[in-house]
Amino acid sequence: MNIIDLRADLRAFGAATRKEWRIMRRYPGTLLSFIFWPIALPLAFVFQAEAFAGGRSDTMGAFATRTGTEQVAGFLFVGWATYMWLSLILWGPGTALRTEQIRGSLEAIFLTPASRLVVLFGPAVSQLIWAVWIFVVVGLALWIGFGITVGPAEALRALSVILVGVPALYAIGALFASVVLRFGEVHSLVQGVRGLFTALCGMSFPIVVLPDWAQTVALTLPPTYLIADLRAVLLAGAGLGRIAGDLLVLAAMGVVLALLAAWAFAVTERHARRGGRLAQY
Amino acid sequence: MDELRWEMRAAWAIAHKELRITLRYRLNAINRVVQPIYQVLIPGLLLGATFAVGGEAVGLAESAGTTDIVGYLFLGMLALTLASAAFWDVAFSVKKELDAGTLEPAWLTPTRRETFVIGQTLAGLMLATVTTGVLVVIGVMIFGASLLPQLAIAIPVLALTSVGVLGIGYLVAAIVLRMRDANFFVDAADFLFVALSGAAFPIVVLPDVVRWIAYLLPTTHALDLVRVAALGTRPLLPAAVEWAMLALTSLALVLIGRWTWLTTERRMRIRGTLGQH
Repeated sequence: MNIIDLRADLRAFGAATRKEWRIMRRYPGTLLSFIFWPIALPLAFVFQAEAFAGGRSDTMGAFATRTGTEQVAGFLFVGWATYMWLSLILWGPGTALRTEQIRGSLEAIFLTPASRLVVLFGPAVSQLIWAVWIFVVVGLALWIGFGITVGPAEALRALSVILVGVPALYAIGALFASVVLRFGEVHSLVQGVRGLFTALCGMSFPIVVLPDWAQTVALTLPPTYLIADLRAVLLAGAGLGRIAGDLLVLAAMGVVLALLAAWAFAVTERHARRGGRLAQY
Repeated sequence: MDELRWEMRAAWAIAHKELRITLRYRLNAINRVVQPIYQVLIPGLLLGATFAVGGEAVGLAESAGTTDIVGYLFLGMLALTLASAAFWDVAFSVKKELDAGTLEPAWLTPTRRETFVIGQTLAGLMLATVTTGVLVVIGVMIFGASLLPQLAIAIPVLALTSVGVLGIGYLVAAIVLRMRDANFFVDAADFLFVALSGAAFPIVVLPDVVRWIAYLLPTTHALDLVRVAALGTRPLLPAAVEWAMLALTSLALVLIGRWTWLTTERRMRIRGTLGQH
């Protein structure tokens, strides 16, 4: 790839991002949902936690021992904010491809000289803005509702954790895109995998409460590290040095998953083009 | 009398059609049972385990009067499945007819407009009953919930709540007709309805103002009556008051909902915007 191709791909990347952003802006319901859900979903779990605590000190002690923090709201809001970001990524590339398939514009896009990375991740970049937005809303809700403040140092450390997690999560999104191209269905699979992450990765609980086998499975999933590390830097005041091991694992997972996703997408695309089934749905 | 019989046949035909469509998409049908398990029950159970002392949910005993966290949450799914019937099944049915352009031809038949919503709600209620039944069986067989035989009280409770669910169905159908793209509204209202009904936690933990709104929902009283009978939880209100509130709120919802629906469909027919989507 020469410098001119790279510049053209970057322009195409920007164009794909702008297109998705414009479509999203046209639907005010989408905007409202990005304010409502980051607050309403974790808040329901905060009320549930209050019921499980029952106003007793021994139950709160049990929570603090198992999670390493006494901030119940912070623990739950950070977990569910990550869940929402993950949902966006899981739906993103696959849904974008599916939409183009249904509109009949996928073949036209694939015939352009733009890289497949543009097709896959152009829409996802626009969702990165929403991901940042979700964390901002959560930060404000924690500050206004519960008096939990996140300082600039903690925010920067959290941003570093997010950046380390980006390759692994977006690679998972790209793997989903391959499945969409192969099977033409995204809904049930995304629901299933999101369910697996919800049940194992500790959005609303620390993974120490899981049975041993489930903990082992959880430790093979990138969101487990992402959630635990975000909680550590935002709620427990941990420095990046303390979670360096986790970050290394997360980065390694990112490399492996990205290679796997690139290979899976190339194979699936070749298969679809040979069979002339690219636009079938 | 004949007219009533025809309308009942039409409602059943509409429900039958909706059930056939739902069952054609088997993965979605399975997801109706599986989704509450991984989205609400497992995260809730594990959050409960985080607060457990000596393996017992002593905190829940303090706030709700039971340590059976599994039974408490699985019975709570009654509100979730009923809300799903009222919100999603009716909303999707109306939206599907709008998108397919079949709403106007269907409404030109001699069937009354209310009957369409009744049929759609009926299908949703049947699916909700089956889903709740399967969930409760899973709760008992796999997760070890211990429910008392008094759970049979759920039958009259469900019958009364169905009237309120129909009322919500009317309201949702009217909103989908007016807003056309009502996905966020339906989703958010469904979530709030389930949360305020106390599906996942006792409403005593809610702030006072919000708790008073929760008392106006029939599902709050339905859930409480069922939980008190099956788990021996601490009642929110005396039993007689709960039955009266369940009946009154259900009746009020169906009256308000029907009026809203009829007013909306009349206004849209006058404006000629019925088929727009």
